[in-house]
Amino acid sequence: MRTSAVAGIVLANVNDNLLKKLTAHRSMASIPIGARYRLIDFSLSNLVNAGVTSVGIITKENYRSLMDHVGSGAAWELDRKNGGIYLLPPYLTSGVKRYSGTVDALYGAKDYLKRCDSEYIVLCNADVLANLDINSAVKAHIEKKADVTVLYYKGTLTEENRDNLHMTLGEDNQISIMRFENTPNENTVCGIGVTIISRELLLKFLEEAYEDGLVNFNRDFLSTKVDSLKIYGYEHKGYVCFMNGTDSYYKASMDMLKPEVRKELFNRERPIFTKTRDDMPTRYGTKSNVKNCLIADGCIIEGTVKNSIISRGVTIEKDAVVENCILMQETVVGKGAQLNNVISDKNAVIGAEMILKGTKEKHFFVKKNQIV
Amino acid sequence: MKNKKCVAMLLAGGQGSRLGVLTSKIAKPAVPYGGKYRIIDFPLSNCANSGIDTVGILTQYKPLELNDYIGSGKPWDMDRLSGGVHILPPYQSQHGGNWYKGTANAIYQNLEFIERYNPEYVLILSGDHIYKMDYSKMINQHEKDGADCTIAVLEVSMEEATRFGIMNAHEDGTIYEFEEKPPVPKSNLASMGIYVFNWDKLRKYLIEDEANPESSNDFGKNIIPAMLDAGEKLKVYRFNDYWKDVGTVDSLWDANLDLLNPKLDLDLSDRGWKIYSRNIAMPPQYIAECAVVENSLITNGCEIYGNIDYSILFENVTVEEGANIEYSLVMPGAVIKKGANVRYSIIAENVVVEENADIGGDPAVVGNEGWGITVVGANLTIGKNAKIPANQMIIENVEKEEA
Repeated sequence: MRTSAVAGIVLANVNDNLLKKLTAHRSMASIPIGARYRLIDFSLSNLVNAGVTSVGIITKENYRSLMDHVGSGAAWELDRKNGGIYLLPPYLTSGVKRYSGTVDALYGAKDYLKRCDSEYIVLCNADVLANLDINSAVKAHIEKKADVTVLYYKGTLTEENRDNLHMTLGEDNQISIMRFENTPNENTVCGIGVTIISRELLLKFLEEAYEDGLVNFNRDFLSTKVDSLKIYGYEHKGYVCFMNGTDSYYKASMDMLKPEVRKELFNRERPIFTKTRDDMPTRYGTKSNVKNCLIADGCIIEGTVKNSIISRGVTIEKDAVVENCILMQETVVGKGAQLNNVISDKNAVIGAEMILKGTKEKHFFVKKNQIV
Repeated sequence: MKNKKCVAMLLAGGQGSRLGVLTSKIAKPAVPYGGKYRIIDFPLSNCANSGIDTVGILTQYKPLELNDYIGSGKPWDMDRLSGGVHILPPYQSQHGGNWYKGTANAIYQNLEFIERYNPEYVLILSGDHIYKMDYSKMINQHEKDGADCTIAVLEVSMEEATRFGIMNAHEDGTIYEFEEKPPVPKSNLASMGIYVFNWDKLRKYLIEDEANPESSNDFGKNIIPAMLDAGEKLKVYRFNDYWKDVGTVDSLWDANLDLLNPKLDLDLSDRGWKIYSRNIAMPPQYIAECAVVENSLITNGCEIYGNIDYSILFENVTVEEGANIEYSLVMPGAVIKKGANVRYSIIAENVVVEENADIGGDPAVVGNEGWGITVVGANLTIGKNAKIPANQMIIENVEKEEA
């Protein structure tokens, strides 16, 4: 039995350095988001929803939590006899350095790419929050006989996408200019960090790029080939947000409170899968007062919670007031505590009557396992 | 096949006719409970947590949904190389086939299944109860007592004892008599329908029972009395925690709302004894600005814009603005539209309650006489402005009414 015609590669540590607080103990891919997910759930689900049965996850550091989360891949039905999940940490032998860019990272995965028998590879950056129709994108790639297809969206230059690839589209969505530094005009579009390419071509390009000592596959290699290769863009029309700082992480989280964003991200046709914890449903107490919140299972809520994202197993005791916060797994907010614009990492404990106030510009951050 | 110390046999074939429309399409063990569970999650999770990895599930009545739900047994860690979960429906053999005639006959027809594992003990369970129990403790006691059969019992009040199968036992727990629903009970030890048998003894008595054409092939009525008559050693195992039969609409409703009592001794959040269930991919629950939520259990996929009090909302329920839900169970996928009222009711899966419909009644308003829980069957639509009083069992769509 063959694996699917399309295999996936997820780059798990992209832009880790931009979210230092949240990646102190984890990779970009395993950052908790949306109350019950990790960022990589979106990449993995996007791939699986396009029929992908083989996924390599390239990671270089801080990957314990990622391994924990991904496990055998069963949550995404990626526990397969053929294909399935391959975690690809640095393979340190003499003469091989730890990756410094995507060329190194992908080159390190060449054994996986060689062994995999899928015809096409979808490369996904893990720092994107989006529900993508990869199936249609691959179809377009095949129909156009493209060498490379890059997913994009029509967005103006913002803080969130300033680090993305910006492209100018020519006839029939063929890409004529591809670059990072951007002076946007009506023809420029923004890359999503998802690239479709045949496995054969990818292997060939990686050899070339590696030989030439290039660092970033898109910036240093693909962008120089827009004239000699058929590189097409494929438009994603729905919601998208990139994690390039605590601000964009906070913005993406709060976006999920909007019904229209949830409708797109949690599209019924393409569900987002995650590892389950078998928590009981969330219990709301007698004096609970909850307004505009996204809440996972396993919480006990007895206080007031507004405009917040509450992850699995959080306890909010009586008379506590939580506003504009992101509370990660197992956070405990003691009696009468007051939190505003706080991001708490896993297992944080905020004592009774504590007052923690951040601002919209600078959020108060409570570290993993920290007791305040 | 590797021998197993204990094989569990879970009787899941019952219709549960007293649940009315709730079991018109599904077997009782598949009935949703507690926001994200099915009744069968309790015995299955208890098995997983007690270290029992081989479970035969005896199905007969409307097994499709139950089979689907159990699948490979993965959610309960029962997809094993050896053992694991097995669905056992009645089957045809060379000499014809039979429906399961009674609880004992269901096990008799599957002696071959148990033989493959050649266990020391067989644990008989039913899929009708909500409780958390460490079966390994019961098996340990059974071993220590050197008993032939051990029966789990619960102390009930003397009034209640008239509704149960009662074990009359000596001080040391040795059973000397079994009485089914005695009008004047001698003891208050009610059988929970959980038995540990020595495999060789169970086998012997099942074969004898099958040979007796007079027998109704039932554990309580036939097997246990036969063992007592023959002087076998039968012991009680006392259980003191939460245990509830969910065989009627009232008891199902009660057992669900019990979960809202923080002092209840059925802690579903206990990390050491999780109740597992099959999870579907659903986003977290969303509670809107205009919602009021108190004293309730709510789970993944719910979108709440209305007012919820003393209720259990299952997966993927939508409650629109201005709708009121009180003292009710709203099962997966139901939609309660604007301004509708749902009180003291059980709304089954995928029901649509249209705008301003009014379902069920508060006993304080209606009066206790004639009051009861209203049940709306799965996939039905209750029309706009329709009024459904307390104590109704709705089995077909209800037309809209003029406001």
